[in-house]
Amino acid sequence: MAALKITLFRYDPACDSEPRYQDYVIDPDGPLSVLQAIRYVYHNSDGSLSFRNSDCRRGVCGICSMMIDGRRQLTCMCLATDGIKIEPPPNRKIVKDLVFETD
Amino acid sequence: MIDRTIETDVLVIGGGGGGLRAAVAAHDEGARVLILSKGIVGKSGLTQTAVTGFQVAFGYADPRDNAAVHYADTIRGGYGLADPELARIFTAEAVEAVDDIESFGARFDREANGKLVQRKLDSSQTYPRSIKKGDSLGTPIMQALRRQINKRDIPRLHEILVTRLLKDGDRVCGAIAVDFQKGALLEIRAGAVVMATGGAGELFPVHSNTPDSTGDGYALALDAGADLVDVEFLLMLGHAVLHPATVRGVLFTFQYLLNKGARPLYNADGEPFLARYDPEGSDNPARHIYARAIHGEVRAGRGSPHGGAFFDPGSVSIKTLMASLPSQTKYLQSFGVDMTKPIEVGAAAHYVCGGIKIGARAESTIQGLFAVGECSGGPHGAGRIGGNSLTEILVFGKRAGIAASEFAGSHGAGPSDAAIIAAESDRILDYLSDRRTGPRPNVIKAMLQKLMNDHVGVVRNDEGLREAVARFERMEAVDLCTMSVAESNRIGNYDWIEALEVTAMVRFARAMAGAALKRTESRGAHYREDYPELDNEAWLKNIIIRKDSDELAFEPRACAPDPTLETAE
Repeated sequence: MAALKITLFRYDPACDSEPRYQDYVIDPDGPLSVLQAIRYVYHNSDGSLSFRNSDCRRGVCGICSMMIDGRRQLTCMCLATDGIKIEPPPNRKIVKDLVFETD
Repeated sequence: MIDRTIETDVLVIGGGGGGLRAAVAAHDEGARVLILSKGIVGKSGLTQTAVTGFQVAFGYADPRDNAAVHYADTIRGGYGLADPELARIFTAEAVEAVDDIESFGARFDREANGKLVQRKLDSSQTYPRSIKKGDSLGTPIMQALRRQINKRDIPRLHEILVTRLLKDGDRVCGAIAVDFQKGALLEIRAGAVVMATGGAGELFPVHSNTPDSTGDGYALALDAGADLVDVEFLLMLGHAVLHPATVRGVLFTFQYLLNKGARPLYNADGEPFLARYDPEGSDNPARHIYARAIHGEVRAGRGSPHGGAFFDPGSVSIKTLMASLPSQTKYLQSFGVDMTKPIEVGAAAHYVCGGIKIGARAESTIQGLFAVGECSGGPHGAGRIGGNSLTEILVFGKRAGIAASEFAGSHGAGPSDAAIIAAESDRILDYLSDRRTGPRPNVIKAMLQKLMNDHVGVVRNDEGLREAVARFERMEAVDLCTMSVAESNRIGNYDWIEALEVTAMVRFARAMAGAALKRTESRGAHYREDYPELDNEAWLKNIIIRKDSDELAFEPRACAPDPTLETAE
């Protein structure tokens, strides 16, 4: 399996003046869901990444929902492909990075 | 150091089915209730992922079925170790539990005559007894409970990890917790605490649970001085998909749908093998036999490329799969699994049969602490039969809520011990210290998962368990003391949360491995290759675990007698 690049939204309201996007190149053994790819970055590339490690793997809880290339989708249900961009839904108050305030 | 103090009557820790049921019951008894969850209250936990069944002996599908038969099945499935009183309670109150949850708005599948559909899942059920809702039974239950929580406006806080229970003398009277989103430390003063934290699948590299199933409740209860029981019984299922990695650990519950005479699994030599491992010679054995059989084939060099066996697609038609397991099938297909081709399946940790030892009112062995669901122990003994978990969480959830409310009413929130709170704050915040330079939590977690898989999983023996116990002790003494997190900010710091979780995981791993070492026989979900036989002479006993100063004590204790057997004599 070839390495793939994923772009993640990063923002720490406590110290960043504005959000930024960070690219990560990952080289896993096999295919990953988008949520697994985020977890892969957290484990292997950047422990400061904040995300919700909630993975019912059934598409029932909805917690892992993010914008993937501009479309709101469940990250546990989508395959990570080269070049994807992952960010929180618009107009949500960001706690940090991919964690936004819930309703 | 505490950023926020909250007072309540009943504190419920856990936002899955058992916790919400307890919260509703406690509220309805007049208590002020607060629900804390590590995830989003009502959308975390395992209840929502329930697929197949919920055992309730209505006797619609077979009039011979009743609570007494359900009870006998439960005792048999627990290999004699289930607490008879607890098993009797949840089988006897199962119908009422369904009435309650239906009155809360849940709907289940019905026959044309209006009666609930009842199916027989496997040989552990004497008669067809499991009710269902498509292949997503957890959904209506959680929706109904969420609706009741909202209707009652029960206060809840999301993404709060409890790190320690507080005590006033011998009585639990609150908790210290970390707020993930705010990075704040909370003190909750409560008249009673209901533990509903679920299981510990994350102790293993492949499991069917959610990643936050880290066994917090067991560790919290042990640290507070409560007894655990039967935690060596870790149910490993053998029908988790192993490949591709995207769906590794996802359950594929084909065993309930097999064509007549099907031999669903075969090894790398193309031979069916399940019957060889089943004492009854069945090609669709009791569910815990699956994992053991696959393990045997892998060890004999006949495993599939990813350490499992092959599911024969000829044993269930795709039409049946689409009709009976639509969401499971679609999920697997969405990641490229071709359901008409052989699928690699293998072992996944599924359920801790034991836990915090409870009595009839879901009370633990220490005052003020109650427990419900997978984190509790007693109702199931050495094995949990399929479909009994939902029954148990609803029955004991209600009981826990009522009992906790009464207890809180007569005791009130306890005084807080400033020294203990300061020490706990220091412990929590120390994980952020740059004095720490050891590995990150995920590295220690991976070490722990490998040890559990190698020595405390499907097949166990003396040497491996001793090794595991020694390594866990060393992790507590060394690795956890140097473990470091990626950054020291408190807000939304997932690495920090994971560090706290891993600490609890090591504590519980040591308890599980220690109990498995102590039990020198094989029974139900616990298999020792050096003691492969069931030994009723020596081991009709529950192993009770208690923390004495800093040591864990493991005490085998004769089981409570089964009153039905006494009457029969």
